[in-house]
Amino acid sequence: MAKVFLISDRDYVIKKFNELCCNNSYSLSYSADTEIVEEILSGDVFDLIIFDNEISTLPPAAFIKKIKTIRDNSVIILLKDKKEVDKDVIKSINAIITSDFDDNLILSTLSINLRVKNSLQKLSNTNKDLADSLYRLNALYSTSSQFAGTLDKEKLIEYMIEGLDKSLSFSLTCTLSFCSGNSPVLIINSLYELSDELIDAIKLRSIINYKSLFENKSIPFEIDENDLQVIKTVKYPASRFNFSLFQFDNMFAPIALGENFYGCIEIFKENHFTSEDAKCFQTIAQQVSLPLKSATLYQEIIDTNKKLEKLEKLKSEFISIVSHELRTPLTSIKNSIDILLSGRCGENTPSKDKFLNMAKQNVTRLSGIINDLLDISKIEAGKMDFHFRPVNINSVVDYVKNALSGLAKEKNIEIISYDNPNLPEVMADSQRLEQVLTNLLSNAIKFTPDNKTIKIHTSVKNISEIQYPECFSNDMQKLKGDYILVSVEDEGIGIEENELLHVFDKFAQIENSLSRKVGGSGLGLPIAKQLLEAHSGAIWCESEVNKGSKFYFVLPLEHSVSKEKALRIG
Amino acid sequence: MKKILIVDDEQDIVESLKFVLEASGYDCFTAFNGEDGLRLAKELVPDLIILDVMMPKINGYKISRLLKYDNKYKNIPILMITARSQEEDKLIGEETGADEYITKPFDLDDVLRQVEKYLSRENDGYRNKQNA
Repeated sequence: MAKVFLISDRDYVIKKFNELCCNNSYSLSYSADTEIVEEILSGDVFDLIIFDNEISTLPPAAFIKKIKTIRDNSVIILLKDKKEVDKDVIKSINAIITSDFDDNLILSTLSINLRVKNSLQKLSNTNKDLADSLYRLNALYSTSSQFAGTLDKEKLIEYMIEGLDKSLSFSLTCTLSFCSGNSPVLIINSLYELSDELIDAIKLRSIINYKSLFENKSIPFEIDENDLQVIKTVKYPASRFNFSLFQFDNMFAPIALGENFYGCIEIFKENHFTSEDAKCFQTIAQQVSLPLKSATLYQEIIDTNKKLEKLEKLKSEFISIVSHELRTPLTSIKNSIDILLSGRCGENTPSKDKFLNMAKQNVTRLSGIINDLLDISKIEAGKMDFHFRPVNINSVVDYVKNALSGLAKEKNIEIISYDNPNLPEVMADSQRLEQVLTNLLSNAIKFTPDNKTIKIHTSVKNISEIQYPECFSNDMQKLKGDYILVSVEDEGIGIEENELLHVFDKFAQIENSLSRKVGGSGLGLPIAKQLLEAHSGAIWCESEVNKGSKFYFVLPLEHSVSKEKALRIG
Repeated sequence: MKKILIVDDEQDIVESLKFVLEASGYDCFTAFNGEDGLRLAKELVPDLIILDVMMPKINGYKISRLLKYDNKYKNIPILMITARSQEEDKLIGEETGADEYITKPFDLDDVLRQVEKYLSRENDGYRNKQNA
């Protein structure tokens, strides 16, 4: 029933409208006394106010102004008879009637205005709802972007609570979080200060809530109320407001994604939560779970990497310690054999010499392996030092050729080097280059049958003129400019195409009958690769099974980094 | 006869060095730890010292440093035997003023050549480098 308030002091008007309202199911209140009107309007909301312009208690303009200050959105219909209507009054009213209007006309005016009033009311409510939704959406949006911006689990929980505050303006949230280290944390965000008793109650309540999520299953994390750490944030600590949980409306949600559980949250508010609030709450609690999962995975990757790094370091240290420990006994063995072989202890029979030589060769081999192991562990630990100086590659080739000529002679292998006499010098560590070439050449000798030939070429080439098998393009595409190209070509057993890349892997000696006959640490090529990479160079190979292999390496003519280093060292 | 002091806690290595050097006509003295080595070096004032780095109590670097900083002994050539080939170890050695480095496993003939190099040069009035 629509409520109408009549402000008039004319008996006949009051009587007329009383009758009219009674017959048409409007409820009517009336008064002309300013104080009474004020009191009634403050306490009650009326759909329509009929204001009599002939009123004598106060000038109409002042009276209407008063009404508007009490209820700004009042719909006022002016009853005008003889008195002129004040200009200010016209501005504030919605319609004008006269007392000589017939009842139907008055009734229709009332009902039109009532409808207008209701429509306006609805519109304003809708607007308010829309504004609320927009605000909430904005809060959700900014919370989501915050979620996307971090992989820190504690931060994510913090952002979630911030987001809830923005969109739901809670009085209190209690978040049981399993996202800070190994032990659970109870995060309490409150508007007002909480007593210790209340905090204890919240602790218990949160644990019970948590356990209730896993009624028939075992809980994912053990929890002990006595050890539960509490992080409390109070927005208005000075306020004396006394909290009692029972006067609040509450909502509860787990923070979980599938099997992954991160915690749970309970939220309290003085007013009732709407279904919109509930949706928003669920959304935020769900939304935070996904980045939490990412963060967990990210943390796991970091932890694994750290473990791997540690293992790698341990391995390198182990190799270097073991190598040192092996060198000392090896020295004693070698010395003893050398003394016996030298004839200082008397003449040897040919068979004694044969076995002593066998022992000596194997000691040499063993110390070679130890040196390779030490080198690779040093390179991997970044402890290998390079002394860059201008180097002529031809002299490196000559040196290595001479050093290995004995080995080649044993198999009657001829080594031919095609030196390019106009080769410019490059910045390099000549000892390391000798090591690279020694590895390549001794491999070639190892894998080449007796009486064959090994060829060494040196030249200057632009990288664009250099051809290489597809599988090396990853490394080779990084190169730019002019290079010194060195190749070692053998007539050995060759390498299968799909193995080409793997010959530079650690401990990867290609499995076949011949390779098992030849010894070696399997580290020569990976060491060569690493040493060349330290020179900003590269190494690769091409091969044909049973015809032979060709190993290439390049050194840049312009090696700016090494020049700096050379200056520093030199 | 030239006197050579061999200091190494590995008795087998000392033994083999001694054998070869004595066969080449040097008078060899031995010590199996750093303390004895330092004491003998000061007592004997040998013509050359072969010194292992890794020894308990006083390591080879320290002995070398102590001798090279002392005017009485600083001209004695020191051949340092190291099981490590790491550059930083060499740097420590350079500061201590060792004259040569021999990396394990070494060749006895190489050692012999080094010894001869220093002792014959000393005969010609050679004074090995003096580090501060």
